[in-house]
Amino acid sequence: MLHTLKLLLPALLPSWNFFDVIAPSPRIQFALLNTKNETPQQWQTFRPRPDNITFKQMLTRMLWNPRWNESLFVMSCAERIIAQHTQPLVRQHSEDEILKRISQELSVTLSPEENYLQFRLELVQRQGEKLRHDIVFHSRIQAL
Amino acid sequence: MDFDTAIRLTEILLGFAFAQQSIEHMVSFTNERRLFLARLLLAILLIIGFQTIWVTSLLLLFGLAILHRFQGPYNGGADRMSLLVLLCLWLTLIAPTRYWQEVAFGYLALQLILSYFISGWVKIVNPDWRSGRALCDVFQFSAYPVSKSLRRWAASPRLLFFMSWGVMLFELLFPFALLSTTSLYIALAITASFHFSNACFFGLNRFFWIWIAAYPALLWFQQRVFATL
Repeated sequence: MLHTLKLLLPALLPSWNFFDVIAPSPRIQFALLNTKNETPQQWQTFRPRPDNITFKQMLTRMLWNPRWNESLFVMSCAERIIAQHTQPLVRQHSEDEILKRISQELSVTLSPEENYLQFRLELVQRQGEKLRHDIVFHSRIQAL
Repeated sequence: MDFDTAIRLTEILLGFAFAQQSIEHMVSFTNERRLFLARLLLAILLIIGFQTIWVTSLLLLFGLAILHRFQGPYNGGADRMSLLVLLCLWLTLIAPTRYWQEVAFGYLALQLILSYFISGWVKIVNPDWRSGRALCDVFQFSAYPVSKSLRRWAASPRLLFFMSWGVMLFELLFPFALLSTTSLYIALAITASFHFSNACFFGLNRFFWIWIAAYPALLWFQQRVFATL
């Protein structure tokens, strides 16, 4: 309860520091495995962006945007995993949430031999004029 | 805008914002659907003005439950603003005297002003924002652009430089809009357009609806404080 009330504090006394610095941005990649001991070879981006969105789609999304808002939540979970100060329980919760939502997304397209799931976090940041990509986290391997 | 009208409008707009947020969860997991279906019903009661003290009290409990469920906000700043508007409205409704009602509602207006002013301040003190580099980074590699084609905006640094300064100066000058009712209406139309463009480019639709829900508090506050000067 105390932890939940602590989560309420930033709402009562907001910092309003939106986009003050553009922090390194995580990307979520996942791999499907046949066995628990298999080493993932092929990583796929979770929910890659479409090439284009029409203005009509943008207008519709003003009222109905559940997939994108879920993607933003999943991204928050990724940021919580990476952040140094995150409590172990919250980090665990974030890992669970990401695994759960990837599993749900894949549930209709899985083939019978795909039994396990793992995700990893790639951190993208600017270094000078170039973008740097680092793998910073591997999740546990989860049965599907 | 008079006090009672501002409160009623806040109830309607907040109810609408909560309903919109809740409906988006109806395609999620069963336990999430149950939580947000109950919240959707409360949001409808808030829109029609039924037992608003009880309804806002229950919505606050749901707000805590949602924070617990997601171990923080589901949708970052939009969820935090939702809780702020809700808490200020609830305090306004339960306050024992008109003075304390105005203090609670005025706090919401003050936070709305700060939401723009501080956002502008933290940007302008950052050299990356002053050079336009930060906005380039937003388009180039942040998680927010909704399509690959939007990422190409990062290749237009001159445009993003002027956009950065436009946003920073407007946010910093926003408090001056309170000097007259007309300037405030114009400023709020511009900020609403700003939130609309953020919703289009970055998919932040919930920010649009919840920030608008706080506008009646500012319209009342401007008349309450500045009309008497």
